[in-house]
Amino acid sequence: MNILVFTKRVPATQEEELRIIDEGQGIDFSKVPFKVNDWDNYAVEEAVQIAEKTGGSATAISIGDAESDEVLRRAIAMGIKDGFLIETEQILHDPNARATLIFNFLKKEGIPYDAIFTGVQSEDDQFAAVGGILAAKLGLPYASMIIGIDSLEQGHMIVQRELEGGLQERIKIILPCVLSIQSGINEPRYVSIMGIRKASKVERKLFKAKAYDENLNSMIEVVKWVYPPKKGGATILSGELEGVCKDLLGILKEKGVY
Amino acid sequence: MSYALVVAEVRRGVFEERNLDSIGICALMGKDVSLLVPDDNSYLINEKLVNTIIKVKLEEATFLNPLNMVKVVQAVIDYRGNPDTIVFTHSSSGTELASYVAGYFNLPLITDVSGFNKEKNFFYKSYYSDKLFGEFRQTGEGTCVITVRSGSFKEYAVEKASSPITETIEGTPAAEGRSFIEYVEEETAEIDITKAEFLLSVGRGVGNKDEIPDYEELAGMLKAVLSGSRPVIDKQWLPKPRQVGTSGKTVKPKVYLAMGISGAFQHIAGMKDSDCIIAVNKDPEAPIFQYAHFGIIADIHKVRDKLRNIIKG
Ligand SMILES: Cc1cc2nc3c(=O)[nH]c(=O)nc-3n(C[C@H](O)[C@H](O)[C@H](O)COP(=O)(O)OP(=O)(O)OC[C@H]3O[C@@H](n4cnc5c(N)ncnc54)[C@H](O)[C@@H]3O)c2cc1C
Repeated sequence: MNILVFTKRVPATQEEELRIIDEGQGIDFSKVPFKVNDWDNYAVEEAVQIAEKTGGSATAISIGDAESDEVLRRAIAMGIKDGFLIETEQILHDPNARATLIFNFLKKEGIPYDAIFTGVQSEDDQFAAVGGILAAKLGLPYASMIIGIDSLEQGHMIVQRELEGGLQERIKIILPCVLSIQSGINEPRYVSIMGIRKASKVERKLFKAKAYDENLNSMIEVVKWVYPPKKGGATILSGELEGVCKDLLGILKEKGVY
Repeated sequence: MSYALVVAEVRRGVFEERNLDSIGICALMGKDVSLLVPDDNSYLINEKLVNTIIKVKLEEATFLNPLNMVKVVQAVIDYRGNPDTIVFTHSSSGTELASYVAGYFNLPLITDVSGFNKEKNFFYKSYYSDKLFGEFRQTGEGTCVITVRSGSFKEYAVEKASSPITETIEGTPAAEGRSFIEYVEEETAEIDITKAEFLLSVGRGVGNKDEIPDYEELAGMLKAVLSGSRPVIDKQWLPKPRQVGTSGKTVKPKVYLAMGISGAFQHIAGMKDSDCIIAVNKDPEAPIFQYAHFGIIADIHKVRDKLRNIIKG
């Protein structure tokens, strides 16, 4: 089976302070580290495992600036055969625009595939949308939140989708199809710095987004970036660690749980 | 008359409570609501909240399949005209259906909407797990598709004291590309975290699996039960029934002590109603501090070690 898998370079914001600049028109990322989108790691791992099992190949595709080459090298270090970068200077906020770019690219380059994988969402914009829009444009069946691939058969797959509250559903989906892969489906393999260095020697193919910009208009726009509303927030226990921990135990006692 | 089409989410015969957020945002936007539901069951719907109910002769699982949903939406458009907004829940099924509908009809899509500004007509959407928000709007005219965050608009869904018109439309033949087989329940738990009075919950901030036994020990000393956020469960540092959140368990203990958890909404949704939430995180900007009653800005390992020392005396 040939699988295409999308992987995205995103800012690692979990431990960073994010500053809005240009009167709400921009965000300062100058001090923020970047990494591969967590959900894409699971999608890449799943694609590699299927390719290993079925004797096909897995290809990683990233849309982004030149630095996104980093996530392709990482994917190759995980066992992906080819890495394609669709290079764009401009950030595409609209998932419709991103899906259109991919759609045009796949059509124009005539890239063959049996299945397309994406992560369920990207950590930065949390749209959870590119896979679904792309599937509809390609006229293919789509399923999201894939937490397990039970069987791979001639022409179809049996997969499990995660729903809420621990419930899952098992469905049958015809190939070719588009699947959004949920975290926890597998254990993404560890990649060493050495592995990534070795992957640098594997050629990555570069495509310029401009060549695929037909119908690539943004249907939505960001008017402004704003900070979250302050909800009163927590009473911060401050001071020496010893005192803070004693205060914490005091609260537990007061609440009657300790 | 302009109207909003609210696509209901119905699971195993239950009209999901998050549909109220979809109805609520329409009330806030000042739009008439047409509620789209499958017609294979008698769900408990508060009919006074909506103007029209459109029943589709389809089973729940067929209705919640994106390949069928686009045909259903087409049928609605054919006889009612274009809605100006199509509203889905921001859930597993809602995001799946919304993105496919937006792609199929080439419509603008804004997901995970958690606020709406009536004067300026923009949607408020989370970025970076609630560290920032974007004010979004569609660039052109016409129908816009949105998915709505659970818990954000429920309070706007007020009764209109009118009884809605009910229309029934024929279902379309089920699509062959994707078909439902069965629901699968989660394995049963060795410990039920929903029954615990005191949960010590750990997140990705614990760093690695080797740290877990030390948090187990601390939980034991505090007589708390250890639970975790999704990454901890995904990495199998703790078993799946210990996951707190939308795809895990909803808990309401007397005390919820969150260590190294950032506060993504899928996690918050599972613990926000706890009596007392205490968060320990080294990042003062972590969104969890917005929901916590008490906060400690520190390295969780240092807090853990200090607590153990104090308790041991
Ligand atoms: C469909 C769907 C369903 C989901 N369901 C769930 C669910 O049920 N439950 C759930 O939890 N998530 C769920 N998620 C995932 C959710 O979006 C987040 O990814 C997840 O909750 C993040 O977990 P976290 O806070 O542990 O990790 P992160 O967001 O990575 O945060 C780690 C935090 O630890 C802090 N930290 C790191 N090191 C230290 C240290 N030494 N000392 C102190 N603080 C430290 C950091 O500052 C950071 O705030 C779901 C996502 C999707 C898309």
